[in-house]
Formats: sequence, C-alpha cells, structure tokens
Amino acid sequence: MTWLRIVTLVAVCVAVTPAVALAQNNPAPTQADDPDRDPNRAQPDFTIVNLPTTLRVPRFKSAFRVTHRFARPLGAGDFGSLAEDLFGLDSGAQIGLEYRFGLMRGLQAGIYRTSNRTIEFFTQYSALQQRDNGFVGLDVVASIDGTNNFRDSYSPALGVVVSHELGTHGALYVEPIWVNNSNPLPSDLADDNSALLIGLGARVRIRPTVYLVGEFIPRVGYDPGVNHGTFGIEKRAGGHVFQLNVSNGFGTTMGQLARGGTGSEDWYLGFNISRKFF
Amino acid sequence: MHVNRLPFVILAMACLGSAGCDEALSDLTGPTRNLQPTFSSIQREIFDTTDSAGRRACTQCHNAIGSRFNGMDLTASVSYANLVGVASRVKPGAVRVIPGDPENSYLVHKLEGRAGIAGLRMPLVGPPYLTSGQMLVIKRWIELGALNN
Repeated sequence: MTWLRIVTLVAVCVAVTPAVALAQNNPAPTQADDPDRDPNRAQPDFTIVNLPTTLRVPRFKSAFRVTHRFARPLGAGDFGSLAEDLFGLDSGAQIGLEYRFGLMRGLQAGIYRTSNRTIEFFTQYSALQQRDNGFVGLDVVASIDGTNNFRDSYSPALGVVVSHELGTHGALYVEPIWVNNSNPLPSDLADDNSALLIGLGARVRIRPTVYLVGEFIPRVGYDPGVNHGTFGIEKRAGGHVFQLNVSNGFGTTMGQLARGGTGSEDWYLGFNISRKFF
Repeated sequence: MHVNRLPFVILAMACLGSAGCDEALSDLTGPTRNLQPTFSSIQREIFDTTDSAGRRACTQCHNAIGSRFNGMDLTASVSYANLVGVASRVKPGAVRVIPGDPENSYLVHKLEGRAGIAGLRMPLVGPPYLTSGQMLVIKRWIELGALNN
C-alpha cells in the first residue's frame, strides 16, 4: 500500500514538472520591476481564511500571520452571558503563528505553529498566473503537519489551488487537496486514513480596502465532525490585513481542516492578522 | 543541481517524505504490542496470554474445565464457535459477538464493564482490565465482520 502511494505521488510530481520547468524559463526580473511586489486588489493576502490563495511572495521577501480561534461557541449561553465574555474573547483560544518566505520567483515556503503544539511546514509553487493566461491562476501546494511539536501523528497534504480573479473585485477559489493520515487512529483500525478536501472559497471587495471572505471545505474519505466552514470581513491597511471571522471549528492547518469542524451548531469568533514585509 | 529543478525537487521530497505516514498500531495496544484486529491475533494475545501489564489470560478461567461453571470455553480450538453469533447463557437476548456490530456485542459489554451486564466485568481478577487500545482492536475485528482469520 505504501509503495502504491509513493508511485502515485511521484506520478503527480512528474505531472507538474513541465509546468514548473516552463515557468522557470523566464529569467527573474530585477527587484524594482518584479510584478509580485505590486499590490493585488483581487487577492490582498496569502490565505482566504485558512486556505491558501495564489498570491505570490516576491523573491527573498516574507510575510507573517497571526491566527486566533476563540474557544467559546457563540451559541453557548444567553446573549448577556456572551456579551459579558465579549463574545468569546475572554475565553481561551487556539493561536497560530506563521512565517512564509519567497525562496525564488513563484516559490514560497513557510512554517506555521498552532497553540495545540501542531507544527506545519508548507511550500507552494505558482505554476500559472492569471495575468499571463487571462483566465486562472494555479498553484501546487504541499505541506506536512505534525502534532506534539512535530513529534507525533504526521499529516502530509498535496493539492492545487485554482483561482479566478474577478478584475479587482475579488477572486474565486477551488482547491482540491489530498490529506494523508488525517485519522488519528492507525490505518488498521480505520476505514479511511486520508481525506480529499474540495476547498471552495471566495473573496469579494465591497469597499476600496474592505473584503468579505468565505470558505467551505467538503471532504471525501475520512470525514468526522462537520465540513469546515468559515466567513469573515477584512480590511487591508498597507501591508497589513486585519480579518474578523466566524468558523464552525478551530482548524487552521491542512490536517486540522481535514478532521472537520466541531458541529454545525457551534460557531466561534476568530481573527487573522497578516503583515507583508515588502 | 540546476536551479530550475529546485521547485520540483522540493515538491518531490515533500511527497516522498509523506507517503508512508501512519500511526503505529503497537503504540496503541500497549502491553500487547503485536495485537492485530484478526481473530488469531486476539486469541493469541488476549485470550491465551497474560500480558505485560498483568492482565490475566482469559483461558485461565474460560477453559474446558472452567466452562462447566462460567459457561464459555475460550481455548483456541473452540473459542470462535463459542463467540460469534452465539447467544449469551446468562444475559437473555444478548449475543456474544455480532459481526459488524461491536457496540451491541455482549463480549464488548463484559470487557468494558458496561451497565446492565450479568455478573462482573471481565477479567474477573481485574484490574488491570483491557486497555482502551486493546478494546479498539477487538471492536475493529468485530466491525470488520468478526472473521475467523
């Protein structure tokens, strides 16, 4: 079974090689005329809420992101009790810190750690750009997250991010991503040990620097809980993006998203703050 | 290495490195590290053997002689025939092992000490009882059809 997986994965990698090689034939521009440094009004950030976008990190530049998912469900208790708790802000939170870096033109890599001691390493390659073909952007993403500070239970993921920018009004996303070993049990004790996520997302600009965002992640295979969903509003301010969101789970890494949300009745307040260093 | 191949190499390494990820069953089954969700393994590791945690072998009591008193012989030659699809002698309506249905199998109720069982939780001389990991393996065997494998 393991060899079958290896052969399949290598086949996928080989399949993406021509696009990778083709895209690399163009020499890297000088820093001053690098279009990756230009603000992108349709895609102001590297993530929608949790899922990646096709925004590129310029070569040798970087970005930082903080995620918070507050633990109190918005439906727990009466309104007065919820207001006293400032809608969950006084409760505990799952916090994540992320740093990503542009290794070369179109290739980025990063590390993300959440406060339940999960560490995720990820890389993303921009194979197609909508500004070149006029229709879609396409990135290949690969990641692996491990619990207990990357000592236990590894969940690797491989997929593509397809984006379609709607002029400067926003963007739509379809992101089929396969996540292996998303089931915390050994495969001997489980029917499914992996999941195919069909990430669907959108970002719509409603004011010059204000956006509505949403994600929904149906799964095939191992699918406990409910499919993860989240929506929010965000404001871009120069190199910062401030996002307030509401989710039906705490998942932010690929492995966590594959394990689903906690319940369709449970919605949690959260926020993301990101900063580009370019 | 030519720099144009770098993205491919990174992706390929990520893929190959991740292909074999799985939890080890032996990490879960604790004192019976070789336990597998098959009947022969359960017979050997649970019924026939006292494990390293001190949980007593079932066949110390549930053998040819003991079964005259406790009603169930779990020695290897007859245990499968005494378990799968067989009604309990002490709990009316209960079936010891219902293939595909661990939650309603009386064997699981007795080993977990659930409310409503006749008599005491097994093993009678416990604790230690079966660990949660050992129980997961037994339930998985039942879930997969309780085959004589």
